[in-house]
Amino acid sequence: MKIRPTAICAALMVIVAALPLTSLAQGVETARVQETVTTARFKKAAPYRVGVAAGYLSNSWVVFCLQHIRYEASRHKEISEVLVTDAGFNPGKQVADIEDLISKNVNLILYWPVDEKAIQPALEKAVAKGIPTVNTGGGFTYGPGTVANAFIDQVVLGDMVARQLFKDMRGKGRIIAMLPIAGTTAAVDQLAALRTAIKEFPQIELLSAEYGDWNRAKAKQITENLLQRHPRIDGVFSPAGQMSIGVAEAFEEAGRLKEVVMSPGDEYNGWLKWVTKHGRGGAVTFPTRVGQEAVRLGLRILNGEPVKRGLTVPSEYISPASISRYVEPKRPDDWWASTLPEEWKPK
Amino acid sequence: MSTEAERPRVRMAAIVSGLSAGWLERAAIWVVLLALLGVAALFSDAFVQPIYLFNMVRQAAPVGMAAIGVTLVMVMGGVDLSVGAVISLAAVVAAVLMDGQAGNIGYALAATLTIGAAIGFANGVLIAWNRASPFILTLGTAVAVYGLTQIYSGGTARGIVAPGFREFFNQRIGGLVPVLALLFLAAASLAVLVQRTTRFGRSLYLVGSNPGAARLAGLHGARLTVATYTLSGLLAALGGITLLARSGVSSTFAGRGFEFDALAAVVLGGTTFEGGRGGVGGTVAGLLVLFVAFNLVNILGLNYNTQRVVAGVIIIVASAAYTLLTSRR
Repeated sequence: MKIRPTAICAALMVIVAALPLTSLAQGVETARVQETVTTARFKKAAPYRVGVAAGYLSNSWVVFCLQHIRYEASRHKEISEVLVTDAGFNPGKQVADIEDLISKNVNLILYWPVDEKAIQPALEKAVAKGIPTVNTGGGFTYGPGTVANAFIDQVVLGDMVARQLFKDMRGKGRIIAMLPIAGTTAAVDQLAALRTAIKEFPQIELLSAEYGDWNRAKAKQITENLLQRHPRIDGVFSPAGQMSIGVAEAFEEAGRLKEVVMSPGDEYNGWLKWVTKHGRGGAVTFPTRVGQEAVRLGLRILNGEPVKRGLTVPSEYISPASISRYVEPKRPDDWWASTLPEEWKPK
Repeated sequence: MSTEAERPRVRMAAIVSGLSAGWLERAAIWVVLLALLGVAALFSDAFVQPIYLFNMVRQAAPVGMAAIGVTLVMVMGGVDLSVGAVISLAAVVAAVLMDGQAGNIGYALAATLTIGAAIGFANGVLIAWNRASPFILTLGTAVAVYGLTQIYSGGTARGIVAPGFREFFNQRIGGLVPVLALLFLAAASLAVLVQRTTRFGRSLYLVGSNPGAARLAGLHGARLTVATYTLSGLLAALGGITLLARSGVSSTFAGRGFEFDALAAVVLGGTTFEGGRGGVGGTVAGLLVLFVAFNLVNILGLNYNTQRVVAGVIIIVASAAYTLLTSRR
């Protein structure tokens, strides 16, 4: 059968065009976060088996987050075992993983989703069987399948990054924004925070908001085009350090790095190295220790203590002058500054 | 009916017509590329600046390296969907083996290329002697290689690029041509030369267009299959090294999706899934059409979703224009 180029391209086009429709993002609602959850029905005697239903384990941030979970579990004698499953970005597999953990009689499930809606029935099944579930990471979920959340508020993070950038720009200038994958909680919340903050700074103009997909090469390519389009760019809003490096490289190669103020990125080691070298930018943390907080939160639930629906793990600003305390020059770029003891860091 | 005197003229006209048809088929995608560049230049003068155009070639180099190998495989009638996974693995392995030491660069690059070639070799052997479907087999290889990358890396791209490595490949010769772009153009030129002037290159077309005739002509299809897939693996590994040089290593999935970009470039450039047609020259033009399309919508400042729609439409129109040009012979 002969396949025409037009048909191939049309098929690719349909796939590409459909991707944004998978958007699931929602903003964080304070009242829901603060809601008190009674947990008496989950109270159990130790020892506990903790299940981790990972939506994916193939990026460095979640690898560190998981190490925090293991580390925290090792500090509690009442936790006898940690069982980890990896769905590899497959929502169907994550459903099966959760059901598998239920059948293995785990007492607590920590998870980060691939597709929040797809796994809800499986999570609800766990809760119905008396197994509490804790959403762990960068998003807040409100639904019967999620007992509580240990999370980093990306609206707050975005706001901190934006305000620090505007301060460094002395309140005026033209900026571009480099965001993660379109439609994700991170991208939606960070852009919302930026747009809200910008209202207080009438002399700041947002030239363009782009999506670099957490991909250094893509962020660099997009920035190379933005540099062609805009003869003057005064600032870059880029909360994700791994994309910030790509953006900064594009400015540097175009000989325009001096004209621009880079916003804080996160504690991604490659970015921290860049900040150390250039003495600018700083960081607003996206703490991997959220994994530890999730374990502690889960133990409180298993003790029957009332908890808040959302436990926020706060982001912190690290100035360029203080970055030397966090950077690890002999470690890879794809690494995170963390509070993990050396023996618990990924090998 | 032509007279005796008219026959040479008719024969000559037929030859000229045949030559021009062949030329048109080969040149059609370049005509489309030039037309697209012309349109793009109306919207932004970046598309007439040599420095920007060479930078675009540098952007395209990682996918382009893999696309060269995929082209050779497809001319032979196969397909290689494992190139994205090999690119990811190669970028991670090269950085790990460099370990931040300039003295390790040679060894790291040699080992990485060997691993890529070995994966291609395995693909070739399984396809040649197992008669497995190349589509399914290389898809399986991709899944396995992604898994191996995760096992090897533990989920973090834990290598450290050696000092001087990225600086060398990103420097611009004469302040204009990035070494990476030059490397890609050199690899593509070499591949064109191989496909046009060597027995190996001509054999690919014969096996792709008529495997039975190739067998009768004494060509050893299995050996050719193994050699071509090995070359594809090697070039994909070179794509991974190119990606590492261009933007460093920031994830263990850096090449994910590149297999589809490579396929799109190859098919847009006139190489068909049935084999026996097309070539690397067309693939280079197809690749540049894709990159001009994506860069144009980016430069235009359209919002994200509109960018995707317009880029898709440009690709469809380019593909349709190409089909129109080549079907008029």
